[in-house]
Order: sequence, then structure tokens, then C-alpha cells
Amino acid sequence: MLIKRIALLLVVSVGASATGLVLLLAGAFVLRAWWTTPFEVLGFGAAPEQPIAFPHTIHAGVDVWTYPDGSPKLDADGSEMSGLGLDCTFCHRNVDKGATAGVPPVEQCLFCHASVQGDELGEVAKLVEAWDTKEPVAWERVHRVPDHVRFVHEAHIRYFLAQGETPSGEPALVAADVCSTCHGDVAAMAEVNQVRSLKMGDCVDCHRDYNAPTDCTTCHY
Amino acid sequence: MGITRRQFLRWTGVSALGAVVFNGCRIPEEELQIESPVNLPEDLVTGIDNWYATSCRQEPGCGVIIRVVEGRAKKVEGNPDFPVNRGKHSARSEAGLQTLYHPDRLQTPMFRADRNDDFLPISWDRAREILNAGMNSLSDRSRFLLVTEPLRGHLALLTSEFVQALGGRHMAFQSLEQINLHRAVKEVFGQDRLPDFDIENANYLFSFGADFLSTWLSPVRYAGGYGEFRQGDRKRGTHYQMDSRFSMTAANADKWVPVKPGGEGVLAMSMAYVIIRDGMGNADAAAALTDGQGPQALNAFAPDSAMVRDATGLDSGKIEDLAHSFADEGHQPSLAIGGGTAGAHRSGLFNLKAIYALNLLVDNIGKKGGVRFNPAPPLPELSREDVASVGMPASYREWQELAGSGSVDVLMVRGANPVYGLPPGADFARVVNEANFVIAFSSFMDETAGMANLVLPEYTYLEEWGDNVPSPGPSYQTLGIQQPVVRPFHEGTSSFGDELLTLGRELDLRLESRLEVTPDATMKDLIKAGVEKLWPENRGSVTAASFEGFWNGVLQRGGWWDTQATGDSGVAEIKPLDTAWDGSGLGDPGSGMFSLVPFLSNSIGDGQLAHLPWLQASPDPITTVVWHTWVEINSKVAEDMGIAEGDILEVSSGAGTLEAPAFPHPGVPPTTVSIPIGQGHTGMGRYAEGIGDYNYNTLSLLESTTDKDTGALAWAATKVRVKKADHGHSIDIPKFAGNQFAEEPHKGTIIKVTGPS
Repeated sequence: MLIKRIALLLVVSVGASATGLVLLLAGAFVLRAWWTTPFEVLGFGAAPEQPIAFPHTIHAGVDVWTYPDGSPKLDADGSEMSGLGLDCTFCHRNVDKGATAGVPPVEQCLFCHASVQGDELGEVAKLVEAWDTKEPVAWERVHRVPDHVRFVHEAHIRYFLAQGETPSGEPALVAADVCSTCHGDVAAMAEVNQVRSLKMGDCVDCHRDYNAPTDCTTCHY
Repeated sequence: MGITRRQFLRWTGVSALGAVVFNGCRIPEEELQIESPVNLPEDLVTGIDNWYATSCRQEPGCGVIIRVVEGRAKKVEGNPDFPVNRGKHSARSEAGLQTLYHPDRLQTPMFRADRNDDFLPISWDRAREILNAGMNSLSDRSRFLLVTEPLRGHLALLTSEFVQALGGRHMAFQSLEQINLHRAVKEVFGQDRLPDFDIENANYLFSFGADFLSTWLSPVRYAGGYGEFRQGDRKRGTHYQMDSRFSMTAANADKWVPVKPGGEGVLAMSMAYVIIRDGMGNADAAAALTDGQGPQALNAFAPDSAMVRDATGLDSGKIEDLAHSFADEGHQPSLAIGGGTAGAHRSGLFNLKAIYALNLLVDNIGKKGGVRFNPAPPLPELSREDVASVGMPASYREWQELAGSGSVDVLMVRGANPVYGLPPGADFARVVNEANFVIAFSSFMDETAGMANLVLPEYTYLEEWGDNVPSPGPSYQTLGIQQPVVRPFHEGTSSFGDELLTLGRELDLRLESRLEVTPDATMKDLIKAGVEKLWPENRGSVTAASFEGFWNGVLQRGGWWDTQATGDSGVAEIKPLDTAWDGSGLGDPGSGMFSLVPFLSNSIGDGQLAHLPWLQASPDPITTVVWHTWVEINSKVAEDMGIAEGDILEVSSGAGTLEAPAFPHPGVPPTTVSIPIGQGHTGMGRYAEGIGDYNYNTLSLLESTTDKDTGALAWAATKVRVKKADHGHSIDIPKFAGNQFAEEPHKGTIIKVTGPS
């Protein structure tokens, strides 16, 4: 009888604590997701799959390209190939002019990809097809603030570029550094994902750090 | 377990609330995506607007600026720099967007060999082949006729060269043509171009029949000047309106003098008589106007004569008062303008000459607050006589002669709708039917295009290159530029100018050498070449070190003008007044008869803009009627005839009959009825065609009376019989004033705007 009771107690307590643990984890997940970004489990917080697998690494990065075994890719001349190191504003050309950074039109991609094509570049074929059929490309949005927040890229970039040095005494920024303040090192991301929470606390903390206004109407108008 | 009613309601409420709350919380699907547009538009910044300056074709002579957001035109405003309208604009300009986005815009060329068949859509390449074949079918090129609206600037130059090189004919169409005005200005002032009237700085303004605040000549300029005249930083001006209709302008006047239709000239002559008799005004001008004979030269026009009383309906005391207040020294500068119905009678030219001669008596020529002459256009080729004639409307008599002549084998029509706009006496449909091949350049399937073999859809003025020499200009040299502010909305459209150049090449007309441009030139190149000739003169509103800088400056400002390059400062030779008054056909219309005073709609004009719902829905300033034709009739007369508002009247003249609802109104002179022009379309898209049951074309009432000297249509000379229609119907007139339910004149969706298909 006693053994039975102990066993029952064990089962009940283990069951209860397991349920409690699950509830606790779920609660933590919801709270974390509410205040910052969700834990990266079960695909949460991962980069979304895009209609064209556009690699920022190749366009914006400067690293030498390698094969899976680590050996460098070589071009026809035998020299090492590396990322192009394009400035962010080369493609997102409205980011320092308007509220939205915007994505480049297909025509702009075709400026280069009209000639840069090949068997290896299967994704470019999708781009050319979009151009031929005049169908816009619908990218999955990675960064989004809610409708009640008005975020203007142009003002942030203008502010940071005008700084002689950062508050921590580092030298002046260039545009790409400004972008990475919020977006992380996109040039190193094969698939773009969100690195900062971009929740209100995140915005306000940064505004305080830089002595930017924190009135409600700064963003909510 | 059965559920109780209470539980059922609770669960229903909760699930309904949940459905609303959770759906409302969801982020809309499109918010989670971001689109790469296919094309890369110039200057595009998402959410940032660009304003481009261009010229307006719906409000002639005006410069406008267009707000363009992400490649789409969104709003029209007046160009604050442009000298004619100085930042002001009108509803007609505003509605340019609806022309651009109209759901019934023609989007592809269409052809039919037999005009009884239906149109078939074709490609532009095929359309050009058919066009060439049609032109080559001409055995005698003098049997080619091109009909356009009155053109100015480089398009006029190109059209003139095209027609001359081909050996064909050109006629400019304007439904209520202003030939009498042009002739009067030529004969009284010796000027080839319409002058500027400085209403802004005038003190006493006498307008004879000119509805200058609403539709006459350059209403936006005059209305802007009128604001200064009335409320500006100066002594308030005084405005008398001598008009046979209580128009919006008459309603604004200090004094409205309802003169009998056609008697405006006699009134002006009588005023001149009084001014000269009483030794007022400029003595030299008085002597020249009377050929040295003094007031007795005008004895026939003494205000107390029976003739004057009959012709004007005014007693002598009133005429003396008008004359004195016009010429009083303390009232200067005073200004007399005349047009509209005053110039639309058998003696229209006589009327206008008499009215404009009043300005000579008060010596206001070239002065502040007076008549200021316009100089020749800035480029010499644009003032050539053959080019100017492309901008001069053909007279009604010429249209009549054309209808009977059978002289047209190939007819090309652009920007004009003479099948709708000519009264039945000049049967343009006959010209169309007798031609072998008819080509229509048009953005809409209007009445004329609907009778063609080949319909070529045009760009709107927001999509194509052009320029504009405003007429009347602002008293100094002005060249307005029209640039495409958006890319063509429909792929299957093209520019008339470009197609004319292409056709010239196909027919080997060597237009390029005549125009001094490169062999593959487009309309843009032609205009740019013209502007390039202005640059070395280094004067005016834009000057630059390089031509590129000059060109960009001209485009940014919406044109080029030089305030120093003004017209003549005086009249070279004052001719004696024309005293040959012919009163035939005037006077009392007779028992049961009325003088018909047609007028241009404040919004849809002569019907050219009837396809735009914004304008159809703009209330008439006097009656507040929208989307409809109406018959203005004196309230007392209507009461006597047993007519109430909305009763359908049958109005008949020697030319035709129409039915329209009555609008009794105390401001209508008892012997006249007024009917707006512009409705009654049988084409032009869903907002013009067949709206309302009693919308007729007012022009179909007009008899073929013409001015005895110029052959211009005497469109205000028709007498009509008015009675309640036999069927006795009555409708609620769709109007804004009063508290009543309006008839819905347009069945179905009120406004539809489309994207490219």
C-alpha cells in the first residue's frame, strides 16, 4: 500500500512539475516574445524564407568565398573571389531620403544581372523572369514596427552621420555602420533575420543613450 | 444537457466578440510583405512627393504643377510662377487627373474598314500601316482635311508644316468660336492677338456679356485679378455687368443691367455718344472715333431715341448714368470688355467693336488697369501667319460650306468633336459620312471618333510633350512648356505630334528639314530645339550659362517669360466708329416666344469635359444643378404659364427641339430663357453618354444665323418657343440648394478609376 501511495505521489508530483515546467516555459516564451525577440526554438525568430534567396554576403560582404571544405573559390584568372562590399545605400537608395529604406526595383538588379548570369546562379533566373513577366517580387518582411509607430530612416541616418564621434568616443560612422546599429551585420547574413527586439523599450533605451527626445509624439504621431 | 437561452446568448456573444477581437488583432497579410517594383522610376522615393510644372490643356493658357507620388499623378495645383494664372487654378484643371485615370479611356488603336462594322483592336504597327495606306489612297492631296482644336506653339508649327507639305487643308474647331472677338480687336486696336485686360488694377469695370469669372477667355486669370480688384490692398473696384443672362459674373457685379440680347453694341454706342457729347474722356480719341464730326456722327444712338430703347430695353437716364460713371475722371482707370453672348448675334462684330472702342475714349490703352496689348510669341516661327491661322477657329459659315462641298476624301480629327459641337445647320456628320477614310486621334470614344474608320488613342496632356503660347497672354512674351509628368498610363497610347512626324516621314514630306530638326526628331526634340533658340537671348525668367541649365530651368518653372518684352503701348491709328447698325432679327421675340441665351457650363464647358464625373458633379454657381441640363425661365412668366420647377419643358426652334426640366428663377429677363451647353452626349464614355432622361444637346437648338461680316455663328440669336411637354412629366432636378431628394441621374457606380489592364 505504502509503495503504491509513494508511486502515486511520485507520478502526481512528477506530472505536476512537468506540467508546471511546460507552463513556465510557455509563459517565459510569451513574455520574452512580448518584450523582446522570441527564443530561437522550433524555428521562432529564424530568418523567413524569401522568394529569391538573395545573399547579402555576396553583395555587401567582403569575405573571401569558400567551398564547403574551406578552400577559396577562384575565378578564371585563378585569383580569389570575394564579396562585392557594396554600400547598403547602393541598393536601398532611398534610405537616406525618405521614411522607408525600400527594396530595389527589379530593373536596378538587372543593371548588373543583365550580364551577371550563369548556370550557378539559379536565383538570378527568377529575377530575370520577374523582369520578363513584369511581376513585382514580394519579399517577406523581416523588420516591421507596428502601425502606431512612425519610424523615419532618413532622420536616423542623418543624425548618426552628423555625429563627430559616438558617445563611447569611437570615430564617426559611415552609413553601413549606422544601418548595423539596428539591423546587425547584414553583410554577414546569408538570410536576413532580426537581431534587435525593436520593441518600444529598445527604441527608448537608445534614444536615452543619444539624448534623443523621448516624448510620446516623437514616434507616435 | 440542453442549453438554456441565457447560455446560448452568452456563448454567441463571446464567440462574436472573439471573432472581432482576434481578426482585428491580426496583422494584415500585405503588411508582412514588401514588394520590389519591376521598373525603376526616376526620382522615386517611397512616400515622398514630387511636383512637376506643366501646362494645362483643360484650362487653356494656365500653368499647373502636378503632385506625383511613386510615379502616379495625385493632385493638380496652379503654378505659382506662371504669369497667366499666378498660382490659381480651376475645377477644370483639377479634373485633369480624371482624364488620365478615366475607366473609358481608349487603350489601343482600333480599326474597321466599313463604318457599319464594330471596331477591332489592332497594334500600333498595324495602325500605322493602315494610316499610311489611307493617306496614300488620296488621289488628290487637297482633299485631305485635318480638324483640330485651335493649336498654338510648336504643335501649331508642326501641324501647319504637315498640312502645307502634304497640300491638304486644316480647320480649327471651337464650338462657340471667338472670331468676332479677334476681328474686333484687329479692327479697333489694330492687334493680331487678343490683349490682356488688367482687371486687377482697374477701378470701374464694365463687362458686356462676358462671363469672365466663369468661362470667358481666361477665367482663372480674370478671377484672380477680380479678387485683387474687390478685396486687394486698394480701393474696392466697381463692376457693372451688362448681360442678357444673370450669370455668375453678373451675380458678383455691383450692378447687373439686363440688356436685351443683341443690344449690347447699341448700348455701348449710346454710351460713347453721351461721353463725347458731354466732353468727357479723351478729346483726340473722340475726334478720331467720330471722324472729326463730334457727337452728331452718333446721333442715331442718342439714349432717348426709340431705336436705342427698343434695342437695349433701357431708358435714357440709365444709359446716361452708365456713360458718366464709365468716363468720370474720378473713376479712372475704367475698363470695358465684351464677349460671350454680346458677340454672338448677326451684328456681333458691330457690338464688340462698339464695346472695345469705349476703351479708346477713356484712354486706358497700355496703362495700368486698362487694355494691354500682347507681343508676338518669343520665337519668330511661332508668330508666322500660317502658324497663327492654325490657332484661329474656322467660322461657322466655313463649316456650312464644308458640309455641302463634298470636298473631303480623307478626314483626320484630333482634340475636336465637331459632330457634337456643330449645330445641325453645319452637318459635320455628313462630311464624315462622305469621306472615304476617317482617322480620329482621341483619348475617348466621342461622337466624332465613334464615326471613324481608325481610332488612335492619344496620350493625355499629363503624359506628353507640348508647349503653349497663352492666348490671351499676360501682356508680355510667354511660352508655357508641357512636359510628361508621369509615364503613359496605358501602353497602347501615343502622342499626336510624334505620330504626325512619323507619318510625315512615311509620306516623305521632309518635315524635319522644314522644321530644322534631326531626321528622327520627336515632339520633345522639336520643342527643345525651339527653346534652344531662346537661350542665347539671355533674358527673361530663366537665364543660364549652359543650355542644359536653361532647359532644366524652363522645365522647372513651367515655361519661360520676359516681363520686359511687352506689346505695343498704344493704338497706331484710331478708326471711326462703325455706325452701320443692323437691327434685323433683334427686339421683341414675339408672343409665346423667347430669346434663347445658351451659355457655357461653368464646369464642363462646351461639353468637351462632360466625361469627367468631378466636373459633372460640380454645382452650377447660380442654380446649383449637377449632372443635368435645365431651362432657366423667369419665375413670374413660369407662374403665368403654369410651370413649376422640374416640369419638363419642350423648347423648339427652327433647328430642333429639346426637352429639359424648368428652373424658374427671378433673375431671368422675362423674354429670355437660358440653357447650359454641354450635355446630351451620345458617346464619350459612361459619365457623358445617356445620363438622365432629359439631357439633350443644347447646340442642336441653334439656328444657322451667322454674323453678317465674319460668318461667325450667332449662337445667341435663336428664338425659341417654350411650352410644357405634352407628356406632362416632372422630375426633381438634381441640385444642391434646398432640402430635397435629388434624382440619381447616373445609374450605377458614381466614380470609377482604373489601373492599367
